[in-house]
Amino acid sequence: MTADALRRPGLPRLLRRILHGRGFWPAAPALAYLIVFMVLPIGTLLLFGFVTIERGRIVGDSFTLAHLDKALHDTLVWRLLWRSLWVATASSLLTLLLAYPVAYVFAELRGIWRMLVLIAVVSPLLTSALVRAYAWLVILGGRRGILNQALVSIGLIEEPLRILNTDWAVLIGMTQIHLPFMILPLLAVLDERDRRLEEASANLGASHTETFFRVTIPMSVPAIFAGLALVFAVSYTNFIVPQLLGGGNYSTLAVQVYEQTIVVLDWSRGAVLATILLSTCFAFVLAIVAFGSWLARWNEVAR
Amino acid sequence: MSVWIDRIGYALLVALCAFALLLLVAPSVIVIVISFEPRAFISFPPSGFSLRWYRSVFENRQLMDSVWVSLGIASGVAVIGLLLGVPAAFASVRGRFPGKAGVNALLLSPQMMPGMVIGIASLFFGAYFAFRASNAMLMLSLSVFCLPFVVRIVMARLAGLDPLLDEASANLGAGKFETFVRVTLPQIAPALLAAAAFTFIEAFDNVTVALFTWDVRGRPLPVELYYLVQYDNTPAIAAISALEIGLSFLVMIIVARTVGLARLGR
Repeated sequence: MTADALRRPGLPRLLRRILHGRGFWPAAPALAYLIVFMVLPIGTLLLFGFVTIERGRIVGDSFTLAHLDKALHDTLVWRLLWRSLWVATASSLLTLLLAYPVAYVFAELRGIWRMLVLIAVVSPLLTSALVRAYAWLVILGGRRGILNQALVSIGLIEEPLRILNTDWAVLIGMTQIHLPFMILPLLAVLDERDRRLEEASANLGASHTETFFRVTIPMSVPAIFAGLALVFAVSYTNFIVPQLLGGGNYSTLAVQVYEQTIVVLDWSRGAVLATILLSTCFAFVLAIVAFGSWLARWNEVAR
Repeated sequence: MSVWIDRIGYALLVALCAFALLLLVAPSVIVIVISFEPRAFISFPPSGFSLRWYRSVFENRQLMDSVWVSLGIASGVAVIGLLLGVPAAFASVRGRFPGKAGVNALLLSPQMMPGMVIGIASLFFGAYFAFRASNAMLMLSLSVFCLPFVVRIVMARLAGLDPLLDEASANLGAGKFETFVRVTLPQIAPALLAAAAFTFIEAFDNVTVALFTWDVRGRPLPVELYYLVQYDNTPAIAAISALEIGLSFLVMIIVARTVGLARLGR
C-alpha cells in the first residue's frame, strides 16, 4: 500500500498518524483519557484512605494506617461485608438458575419467537436500573403492593406478605436487574454450540436429562463463570437496590460507602471502605474466574 | 422411566424460562400501566385512564430542567465516546504494535470497574484538583464508564470487514483519507450509530456515577428521580419511568436495526 498519500501536505501530522490506522497512535487519546479520568481518580481514592483530610485537602505528610485499622476492627464493617457477600452470591446463583433455561430454550426457537425473547432480554438491559427498582417498589410494596393484592385476591394467602424491606426484596430486585448480564453471554454460547456432541451422547444411549447435565452444561462452563463473575461484581457493589428495596435500616458495604461519602461526609472512612469494597470484590471475582477455569480444565481431562 | 424424567426435566426448564421472561418484562409493563392512573395514588389495575400525570411531568419545571441537563450530559458522553472509542477500536483491530493485548485490556477495563467506584473516585479526584462536583465532571467520568461499549461495538464490526476492500481502494488511487471516508466509514456507520445510541441511554440513565458527582445547580434526571422514588409516592414517577422506558425502546430499535440485539452481550 502506498504511503505517499499520507505525506500530502494539509493534514496535520498527528491526524495523519491516527488515520494511518496500523499503529498504536489511534488508541493514544483514549488511553490518555483513561489514565487521567480513571487511573488517577482511583489512585486518589486509594490515597484518600491513608491520609488525613481537612476540608477536601490532604494535610501534608500525614500518611496513616489509622483509618484502615479502625475499619478492620469495626464489627459493623465485617457484618456488612458478610451481608454483601452472601447477597451477591445468592443473587448470582439465582440469576444463573433463571438465565440458563432462557438461553437453552432460545437456542431451540426459530423465527419471530427468537426475536421476542431477545427483546424481552435486551429491553430491561436498556431500561434504567432505577426505573426497575421503582417498579419492584410498586410490585412488592406493603399491603397495597400489586403482588400482595394479586395473591390475596386469588386466595393463595390470607394476610399480605411482608416482602418489601427484607432480604427477599433485595434479592428479587438484584436478580431481575442483573438477569440480562447472565443471559446474553450464555445465549451466544448455547446458540452456537456444536450439537453433534449431544447427538453422540444420545446415540450412546444417554437420556436427555443426562445429556443436559453431562454434555451441555460442561460445554458452557466458561460462559457460566464469566456470567457469574460479572453478576457477582455488579451485585456486590450495587447500593441502589438495597437502599430502595431494603428500606432505611438495610445496609451493605456498598450502601455504607455511599452513606459515609455523601451523607455523613466522612471521606476518609468512605475511601477506606471503598478500598475494602473494591479489593474484596476483585478477590472474589478472581476466585470465581479461577474456579471456572479449573473446572473447565478438569472437564477436558475427564473427557 | 427415563422418558418421564426427561419430560419433567424439560417441562421444568420451559417453566423456569417462562418465569424468567415474565420477571424480565412484567416490571416495565406494570409501570406503564399504572402511569395512566387518574387518581393521586397508585393502584393496580388503574382506576381509570388519564394522561394527567404525564401533563404534570411536563409542567414540572424542576423535572424538565433535569431532563435537559441529562440530555446534554448524555449527548456529550456519546460524542466523547465516539471521538475516543472509534480510533481506539481501529488500533485494537488493525494495529500491529507491541503490548497490544495490554492496551486492549486497559481500553475495556472500565467495564470491570463498578460504577460506584468510578463515581466516588471522580468525586475525590475532582475535589482534590478543585474543579468540584459538577456536571462537566459527571460527563467526563461517565465517558470513562461508556468507552468500552463504543470500543466493543465498533471492534466487532471492524473485525468483520474485508481489508481487501481498503487495498482495492488504495490500488484504484484513493488516498488513506479518501479510503477511510468513502470505503471504511460507510461500512462501520451502523456500528457508530448503535454505539452512540447505546452510550447515550447508558449515560442518560446512569445513577451510580451521577449520585456522586452531580451539580447542585442542575441535578441530572436520574438523581432527581432517585430522590423522588425515595421520598415521594406520586403516579408522576410512573409517568417519567414510562417515558424513560419509551426512550430505551427507541434505542433498542436503533440497535436492532444496525448491529443486532444479540451483539450487545459479547
